[in-house]
Amino acid sequence: MSNGFDVVAENLRTRYQKVQGNGEQIPPGYDLIENRVLDSLGFVEFILLLEEHSGREISIDSVSREDFRTVESIRKRFFDGV
Amino acid sequence: MTATYASVRERLDQDPGFRDVLKRLVDLSERDYYNPYREFQWPDSLPEQRWWMTPEMMVEHGTAVGATLSEQQLQTISRWESINFYSLNVHGIRELLHEIIARIHTTDFVAPSAYFHHIIGEENEHMWFFAEFCLRYGGKIYPSRAMSLAGPGVAEADHFLVFSRLLIFEELVDVFNQRMGQDERLDPTIRKVNEVHHRDESRHIAFGRQIVAMLWSDLRDRIDQSQQAVLEAYIKRYMIASIDSLVDPLIYKDAGIPDPYEVRRQVLADPSHPAYVERILKRSISFMTNTGVFTSPLFEEPRRAGAAS
Repeated sequence: MSNGFDVVAENLRTRYQKVQGNGEQIPPGYDLIENRVLDSLGFVEFILLLEEHSGREISIDSVSREDFRTVESIRKRFFDGV
Repeated sequence: MTATYASVRERLDQDPGFRDVLKRLVDLSERDYYNPYREFQWPDSLPEQRWWMTPEMMVEHGTAVGATLSEQQLQTISRWESINFYSLNVHGIRELLHEIIARIHTTDFVAPSAYFHHIIGEENEHMWFFAEFCLRYGGKIYPSRAMSLAGPGVAEADHFLVFSRLLIFEELVDVFNQRMGQDERLDPTIRKVNEVHHRDESRHIAFGRQIVAMLWSDLRDRIDQSQQAVLEAYIKRYMIASIDSLVDPLIYKDAGIPDPYEVRRQVLADPSHPAYVERILKRSISFMTNTGVFTSPLFEEPRRAGAAS
């Protein structure tokens, strides 16, 4: 796991806590889109954070919403094997 | 004034004032029709070391980061910031066309459909000249950053939210167009693009204000205070996110400014930024307040009963 991913994971945890109103960790497999942790208006800021910390430009045309469904899918798509 | 309508169609059909506005807008569109493909001269290049945007309108203006940059650096940033601005227009118009086409000649929108034809035609032409500008003078259109995920989750608010977003987008752009269309520091081609767009958008904005006000007056009778608060908070977030999208790390990267993500973060976190947001969105905020959508200033929580903190 890279330091870049840690920053992204922490950002997601902050968003999750805001939605949930508690200080818990995000459960494994938790659906970030269905549960509005990532929504349309917050997405641009998230994609820029992801770009910065994964070290690569992300074209919206080359990703799908499934890439952002869970913490695990984000790590797999943008950090594993980089 | 407080008549309740059975449907959106009834609301839009039965308002004689709306019918008059639509007729006037159709007449104006027909009267002022022009061929955009022959309207511009498009010189081979524009001088790079000159202002491409009105400097006082740039998002860096008045910030601590902006104060550390030379005039030459700011002019270079203004070039890429303008390419980003026109790119946002291209992407915004794509969304607008998508939403209007989804509604034209459908049951709810019988009344405005004749005018929708003009909006679709004019917006297609705007998209063409904005894209042309980006490709000729920036060599690219900056990619869209947006992805359609969840909205505020209020059933029945779909039409209201779509036309509100479109109106806010058009009014935001028009603030820049009005100023930059008259700014003698900018190249004549830049002034012309902004001036032509402003001319057409004044009609679209007049329409947008009418329909948003009508849809809100219809919607507020159908939803409770807490749902109204959710919509108010969502529109405020949309406004702020729209302004934030004017600054993209790619602008700084292309302008040769080191650490582009950090520069963006500092610009948006600058103490002067909220005042910039309110200045650019002044007309839209006033409209939303006067219409009764907003119950508090842009950066404050809604003051409705049941509003979530």
